[in-house]
Amino acid sequence: MTSVFPKPESRPSALAHVAGDVLLMADTAAIFGLSEADARRLRHALQTGDTAARAELARLRLDTPMQARPPRVTVHPVRALALTVSQTCNLACGYCYAAGGSFGGADTRMNWDVAKRAIDQLIVGTVPGGGVKIAFMGGEPMVVRDLIRKSVAYANERGAARAVQVGYSLTTNGTLITPEDAAFFARHRFAVTVSLDGGREVNDRLRPDKAGKGSFDRVAHRIASLLKQRERVQLSARVTVTPLNLDVRRVVEDIGALGFTSVGVAPMISSPTGKGALVGEDFAMLLDAMKACGDAWFDAVSGGGDHAFANLATVLGELHRGQPRSHGCGAARDYLAVDADGAYSACHRFVKDPLGAMGTLESGPDDEARGAFLDARTVERQSPCQTCWARRLCGGGCHQEVLHAGRPACDFVRGWLDYGLRTYKRMQVARPDWFDAHS
Amino acid sequence: MSVEAKPTGPKQMNLAPAPDPRGNPAYPEPVLGNPVSTLMESGVGNCFPGLEFDVRQLDVRFFPGLVFEFLGVTPAGPDGTQGARLVYSDPAGDPIIADHFTADGPQWITDLKKQFAGPEGSALGDGTWYLHFVEQDGKRIMMYDYALYQNAAGLTPYEGETVWWIIRLIEPDKPLTIALTQRAADGSPSGVPVVLTGRRRQFLNDEGMIDPVYHPGELTSSMCSPWTHDFRDCACHYWASNHPDVVLGEVDDPQQQLDNRTDENDAAQAVTFIDWMRRRHEPLKDVSAQTTLPKARPDRYDPYEINLHWQQLDFVLQGQEAEATPPVPQMLKLIKYETLEKMVADLSEKLAGMELTLAMEYLYAYFSLREPDEVTAEEETKWPGLREDLHAARQLILSVALSEMTHLRWVNQTLWLIHKAYPRLGPYKPCLTAAKTISEPDPATPDIEKTRDRRLCRATQVVLQGFVDVERPDGPLDTEYVNLVGLLRESKEPFPEGLYQLAVRIDSDGMQHYQKFRDVMRFLAPYAEQEALYLRPIKEGNATSPEVKPALDQIRTALDGLAEAYAIEAELGDMPKANAKIKEARDAMHRLNDIALGLARKNIGVPFFAVFE
Repeated sequence: MTSVFPKPESRPSALAHVAGDVLLMADTAAIFGLSEADARRLRHALQTGDTAARAELARLRLDTPMQARPPRVTVHPVRALALTVSQTCNLACGYCYAAGGSFGGADTRMNWDVAKRAIDQLIVGTVPGGGVKIAFMGGEPMVVRDLIRKSVAYANERGAARAVQVGYSLTTNGTLITPEDAAFFARHRFAVTVSLDGGREVNDRLRPDKAGKGSFDRVAHRIASLLKQRERVQLSARVTVTPLNLDVRRVVEDIGALGFTSVGVAPMISSPTGKGALVGEDFAMLLDAMKACGDAWFDAVSGGGDHAFANLATVLGELHRGQPRSHGCGAARDYLAVDADGAYSACHRFVKDPLGAMGTLESGPDDEARGAFLDARTVERQSPCQTCWARRLCGGGCHQEVLHAGRPACDFVRGWLDYGLRTYKRMQVARPDWFDAHS
Repeated sequence: MSVEAKPTGPKQMNLAPAPDPRGNPAYPEPVLGNPVSTLMESGVGNCFPGLEFDVRQLDVRFFPGLVFEFLGVTPAGPDGTQGARLVYSDPAGDPIIADHFTADGPQWITDLKKQFAGPEGSALGDGTWYLHFVEQDGKRIMMYDYALYQNAAGLTPYEGETVWWIIRLIEPDKPLTIALTQRAADGSPSGVPVVLTGRRRQFLNDEGMIDPVYHPGELTSSMCSPWTHDFRDCACHYWASNHPDVVLGEVDDPQQQLDNRTDENDAAQAVTFIDWMRRRHEPLKDVSAQTTLPKARPDRYDPYEINLHWQQLDFVLQGQEAEATPPVPQMLKLIKYETLEKMVADLSEKLAGMELTLAMEYLYAYFSLREPDEVTAEEETKWPGLREDLHAARQLILSVALSEMTHLRWVNQTLWLIHKAYPRLGPYKPCLTAAKTISEPDPATPDIEKTRDRRLCRATQVVLQGFVDVERPDGPLDTEYVNLVGLLRESKEPFPEGLYQLAVRIDSDGMQHYQKFRDVMRFLAPYAEQEALYLRPIKEGNATSPEVKPALDQIRTALDGLAEAYAIEAELGDMPKANAKIKEARDAMHRLNDIALGLARKNIGVPFFAVFE
């Protein structure tokens, strides 16, 4: 689905956006409450174009900044590193970006030498007193449990010697977690993300093992020990939304019923097999499903209760912080991935992808490549992002998806942010205290 | 371009700040608590090793997975619980076992883990267990005293401290077998012992980090605190945090305080060490700290007074007592070098040479002192203490001379780092020529720099006073370094790493030199009227005489070796060769010491400066 933009002379203004009676300034991410009448006038002015919008904003005594120029990109030391410790997986999800965990190549596991050197480079590159994060990714990382343990022991030791605080996270399909693993994660305060696609029926269709058998029961059984460590393990579930599990509310609540207090969903946009990706009208259905789930979240939370739907909590927190961004994420900027062969890439999704190659362990992270990548990927240089009011909230989207599948979901993103802005106002009225804890 | 609502405009709801012009803000992360890299030697407030923590606490976890406590004999006599009692067994909570247990990890850990998972481990989960024996290198030590009573052997457990001594003897990196048993009421072993094989814990890793198994506070948990009355007299010196024995006092009258925190009328006031625990209600402020504990004791708080008055113990900032946050001390008349070239010229033409000249003047003074062994029995009777005073004075003067030699190296190092960083200054050349003149302070006209010619003199009181003056804080030498420190600190130039630290080290050494020479003057003052008691009648020897020439040759050898070594180090060249050259220089200095002592006994002084003429 391609967004069709009007010709420049009749183009709506992307200086700001009005959602209900809430105004978002596009470049600064500042949010203002408007009267109903002002909101109506401004919405109309924005539709008319920049000149009218500027006049109306001036009438409201708001500065109207010129659209921001692309920032000068400077490369900072890497602060987070994904170790793709295992390029193999015991499941066979059809849509996997890693194509069965192997990124299209042979099954490989990272050896200790690669992990050790990657950790050395990460910690040596960090100023004493700083902090870094190490993310264990796959494939399924628990296939190489020993390597993870050794890496953590080593990183703690090296980090301690250099006064660098090391935090850990792990993304897993959950089928291999033992109680001993859970205790290990707790001891080292891991953030553990379990991939699940819904309740038993839905999940088993989407996430079969290599023999075609469902994985839900096994995960439910295995994560019990993780749930017991919830005080010390930051536990969340992540759902990949495909046309087969579009009922977001049901998916989130089914997984929540297992004991997860945080469940995030992400639409499948770019799949190496072409299988399972959302297309066309799917996005409109997804938006409706997300809003329905968001309403359930709002009802629960505004009434003082809990709801696991993480996407809305994240959006509200980000809107409240109001940090405009030029990139969709920290990939290549603060974050790199290392694969089993010791090659750096912009993030775990770019493993083995020449578009995101960022050097090797031999020569260290390629800062020139990082700079060039970030410079080319800033939202201010993206088309059609410059004519979109949501550009500084979305940052231009996932680099890997954009480079491989373009931007088929922009209307969905705008629709979701519009809903987020309206809900932000409602939350400010219903539970202003919620933001103290979530921003 | 901030988006602030004007008074009548709509209200901003979120926290969006003004945009960051850099686009990619770096978010610094705060460090909470002590940095994880805090080392044992991080606390340097006192010279008692073990003051920062109780080393016995390391040994309670000497065997991975187990935690012991060392119990002594109760006042009522042995009750059968003395020795090393197992507090608990927690292999899962021990990172050695929990984290290093990997398929390709050390075999002994895998084996030990199996033992904990097997019958041995489950036995320890129940009942009270004591250390029975330890065995290493085929030697087994049982934790009992054997006694024969009426043809029966009785086993009395050693008390905790004895067991601890035995455990201290166990070596890491070697197989270790231990056994634990339960006990009968009289302390004799009962039941089947549990035997475990493993290794003693490495308390520090290769980086010097304490093993992470120790929880925060664990290593200090057995120590006393200031508000407990044994803070003063605690025999084991195991205070929870270090406290200074001696401190520098505050200047009484702020009006009289100079920029360097000394007193206008009495430069010694803030540089006299006083007893930190002195009774505050007595006028002991200006009284020098006593040199021994018994002498100091009467003027210190009683053990019970500490309970009442510990709040009166002053805060100590940079070694000086402080009632309030002191103003940031102003830098002494900071002379800003106009250019880098001027700074380098000052360092190479003036400072390096001055350090070398001073080192030689101090050495000459050192050799002019009699050796303690030369004190006759008759002198000893008349002048008890002369021998010790000579010993101390020689020691102190030599230590300052050596320190100046170290400074000479540091000044050279500073120079080669700067030359390396700024190629426009040309190549670095070692600066190893003694300065012809020394800057001399003149209190009457402090702003006008005066100089005197270099000279070799015996350690008379007048000469020692000259040494005190040249080393005094805010004296000519100190001022040079203060300027260097100030420049390095305030400059926006990206000077090479480590330079600032070097300059600070040299500068802070100066304070010690000053204090040491004051002490030497004090030791030798009683003999001032009879110089022959402590001074040799030495005179500068003839540089060309066959007796003296070998001494000068050694100095030349040393300086040549240093010049070569510095040149190599500056270029980061053949370091083994540089080290060999340094060693040559050092050996030459040792030979010089022997030769110069021999000459001194013949009342001949080494004419050090002849080397440069």
